[in-house]
Amino acid sequence: MESVETWQDIIGPQVLDLVLLTAFAALALVSFFRKSVRLKYITLAAAVGYMGFVKSRLVSVVDLFAVADLNVPVFKYNLAWYLLSFFVIVSTVLWGRLYCGRICAFGALTQLMDTAVPRTLRVEVPVWLDQRAAWIKYGLLAAVLAYFVATRDVSIYRYVEPFWMFGLFGTTPMWIGLGVLLLATVFVRNLYCRFFCPVGALLGVISKLTVFKIKRWAECNTCKICEKTCEWGAIRGPRIIERECVRCDDCERLYLDQQKCPHWIILRRKSERLFMSS
Amino acid sequence: MKKIVVLAMLLCAAAAVTRAAQRIYTTPKPDAELRQLFPAAAAFSPLEGQPLHFKAYAADPHANPGAKPIGFAFWTTDLVPQEHGYHGPIHMLVGLDLTGTLTGVVVTYNSEPYGYFSVEPPKFAGQFKGKTIRDPFIVGKDVDAVSRASITISSAARAIRDSSRMIAKQLLPEAVK
Repeated sequence: MESVETWQDIIGPQVLDLVLLTAFAALALVSFFRKSVRLKYITLAAAVGYMGFVKSRLVSVVDLFAVADLNVPVFKYNLAWYLLSFFVIVSTVLWGRLYCGRICAFGALTQLMDTAVPRTLRVEVPVWLDQRAAWIKYGLLAAVLAYFVATRDVSIYRYVEPFWMFGLFGTTPMWIGLGVLLLATVFVRNLYCRFFCPVGALLGVISKLTVFKIKRWAECNTCKICEKTCEWGAIRGPRIIERECVRCDDCERLYLDQQKCPHWIILRRKSERLFMSS
Repeated sequence: MKKIVVLAMLLCAAAAVTRAAQRIYTTPKPDAELRQLFPAAAAFSPLEGQPLHFKAYAADPHANPGAKPIGFAFWTTDLVPQEHGYHGPIHMLVGLDLTGTLTGVVVTYNSEPYGYFSVEPPKFAGQFKGKTIRDPFIVGKDVDAVSRASITISSAARAIRDSSRMIAKQLLPEAVK
């Protein structure tokens, strides 16, 4: 009887999953590095479809609880869990909240919603409110962690995260709550990600360590184009607030646009003037 | 400097949570669960031996000291403590008869986030009754897969299989192994 487990027994069932996860991560990185709008939307669709409805694989406060009391899944049987966790942490340290911007299925869903919803319905949150509301998620992260330490009850995740929706299992009050949240997201874009997500808050804290930050020019001190374009409230004057930035590429695409970014326009004017005067 | 402060705060938070995590959940006297696994048994030994197990007796061993046990019951958490689901061990009491056949499984505790639709429904534990230690216990083959709870289900199935085989190796007669 004593059938000894070979490494084929362990790896075999996980191969397809690991390949698809790696392919998805690669797609996300390529879309990020090429600053391509089309590839970004393909990534978002893949995030909703594969990472969401097929696998229900989202980083959750549950993972944080597991790490916090060292109750993590067994490594050799759950390589995909470790691969995703590794990718999320490393990408956050290197570039910031890339995970929030294009890997998380719920974030991808609300971003796709945003393109489908007519612009006239959208309510722009005033800056003062936006800046204050962004702190709610950090409070929620602390509250959820405190609740977990006190009660050791992991099921709290159902009430602070809508990620269960991809598994299609929820009680009636949970579905009603989700309905309200999605309806509110029609008016305020990415409402949950910006103001309420505890996982986003945690990644926001980690993104303080970001290695490769978004470039800013001297002209950014006075120019407001990017600040107005940013849908995440992550640009305030000359500064980029890393903890709110999800690396959506919107401002970086502007930097690259030599017709719009004052940095390039000024350079061009200067060279033209030089040319004229000579 | 700022980075170091943030990192230190994170580490402190992690340490605080870890310290709070020390706990034991195992049901101390699982009398009802043991009767469920061995309805024919008249008496059970205390949890003892190496590896830890209960012995089930057809007749009270105090009255009849020569009686042989009719089966064994054991906690998966005692035998394979390293087996974690999504969030920690799943506490299961398993009954094994002398032929190497499972008399049943009782799930007494789990902290799995998706436990309520995976290991908690009686359908999960029920499917192991009648399985033998020679069965493969592979999710999707002889164990029902539960979509979106694969970490939980496969961990529970492995825990039952591995602990049963360990008990069989130690306590069952040579012919059964």
